[in-house]
Amino acid sequence: MTPVSDRVLVSTKKGLFTADRGPAGWSVSGVSFLGENVTLAYVDPRDGGWFAALNLGHFGVKLKFSPDAGKTWEDRAVPAYPDGEVVGTADGKPPQPATLKLIWALESGAATQPGRLWAGTLPGGLFRSDDGSRSWELVRGLWDRPERMHWMGGGADHPGIHSILRDPRDPNVLRVAVSCGGAWISTDGGTAREVGTGMHADYLPPELRLDPVAQDPHIMRHCPAAPDRLWIQHHNGVFKSADGARTWAHVPNAAPSGFGFAVAVHPTDPDTAWFVPATKDERRVPVDGKLVVSRTRDGGASFEGLREGLPTEPAYDIVYRHALAIDGTGERLAFGSTTGGVWLTEDGGDRSVDGPLRERRGRRSRTRRPAGQAAAVEQPQQPHRERCQVQPRERPQERPHRPRPLHHVKLRRPRPHQCVGETLALAPLLLHVQVQHV
Amino acid sequence: MPTVVVAPAIARWLTAEPGSSVGERTCVVSGDTVREVLDALFAAYPMLRGYVVDERGALRHHVVALVDGVAVADKTRLAEPVAADAEVYLCQALSGG
Repeated sequence: MTPVSDRVLVSTKKGLFTADRGPAGWSVSGVSFLGENVTLAYVDPRDGGWFAALNLGHFGVKLKFSPDAGKTWEDRAVPAYPDGEVVGTADGKPPQPATLKLIWALESGAATQPGRLWAGTLPGGLFRSDDGSRSWELVRGLWDRPERMHWMGGGADHPGIHSILRDPRDPNVLRVAVSCGGAWISTDGGTAREVGTGMHADYLPPELRLDPVAQDPHIMRHCPAAPDRLWIQHHNGVFKSADGARTWAHVPNAAPSGFGFAVAVHPTDPDTAWFVPATKDERRVPVDGKLVVSRTRDGGASFEGLREGLPTEPAYDIVYRHALAIDGTGERLAFGSTTGGVWLTEDGGDRSVDGPLRERRGRRSRTRRPAGQAAAVEQPQQPHRERCQVQPRERPQERPHRPRPLHHVKLRRPRPHQCVGETLALAPLLLHVQVQHV
Repeated sequence: MPTVVVAPAIARWLTAEPGSSVGERTCVVSGDTVREVLDALFAAYPMLRGYVVDERGALRHHVVALVDGVAVADKTRLAEPVAADAEVYLCQALSGG
């Protein structure tokens, strides 16, 4: 079975949209929770079930589950912090009661652990479910570490766990990243923990710059076929690890800048990773107003800018930490931006097709546009054990490779003569794009 | 027994299609305090609990309960008395526009 993804789930502030790859290209095929703020979509690789996390603002965080690819949804429990638990602020303010603010990460257990799910949350709790999210338990091993009270919010009032990576070789090995609280490792299912070292934060006072607990890894991703090889897009630059997140090395050649939120790692080649950089933390716009995907294929020694199909006019899109994803082939990459744009490539970002994407009017006419906050690409269901044995997709010999363009499945803004009803009013903020591995 | 009125913005979550327009939902329940009244309401509509209170049982930050038009001041304890002929109105705060 091929690991190629023909479906993208786009979680947006205006609902969860599904885009499918058909003979004519990508088009929006469905929407759930229209008008609601969907902050995360996750496809369980064990059974293909869909999870959607919603933040309803006034009415709290909700978790929904669909056993039938979005046709029907049922309520599931959300993680709950036990009475008396508090969260620190690390900036002098007194600790505050810990209550659920956001589900920021979901990760399945192994195929041998039916029903197990991990959830990363704001304000900093890692939760485990062993009944498919019908109930949750706070993982005390990390929560009770004294260092946790020194975690800080990064762009939010509270710290949050945004990355949970289960080692495909050993389901008891978890790697978790926190903004702002560093990268943590558990080798026994969440109890014992150590924090990775080697990252640095030049924006902090000198005595804190090397403190592993003060680091702000915006996102952490591993190579599924080589889980000891990880990449982090940090607030202070790009870092990589070759020893399972225990030590980290700065990647100084990241270009056109080292600042950004997202990283995607090739499923079988740990030296290949993609980023969508911004100028710097004080100026969160693309360098020179040019949206670009940055790719390294040599472990960070060099980077190339992939611009074909991306806006040629000044663009001020920012791609958040969960909004860049790769499929099981390493060819289909999807990302979404804060302006509501979604782009996809089917060749890992190589593009030789002429013409900017937004001028591809013929394609647009076949494309209904979603509103956008988050996107995920769903892959065909496979046995879990195949997850780390993904082979590159074979191309038919009679069809020579033709690099395909990025497909802009959602307009960044309606054009003057377009029917708004046709375009579906676009959400202004796309927070989460994710390609699912199965 | 007190009457609880659930504003449309909250009552809509009780429908199969939460985005559809619904009106207020009125429920007559037992209880002598705001807490008791809400617990009785949640017994009738269990899924409402997570929309109205957080995991600590406190009224959500942007949800307000008014007893005969007076906003409940202590959103954590919810110990204000509720008369037998009182109306408790649950609605979303308009903070944020």
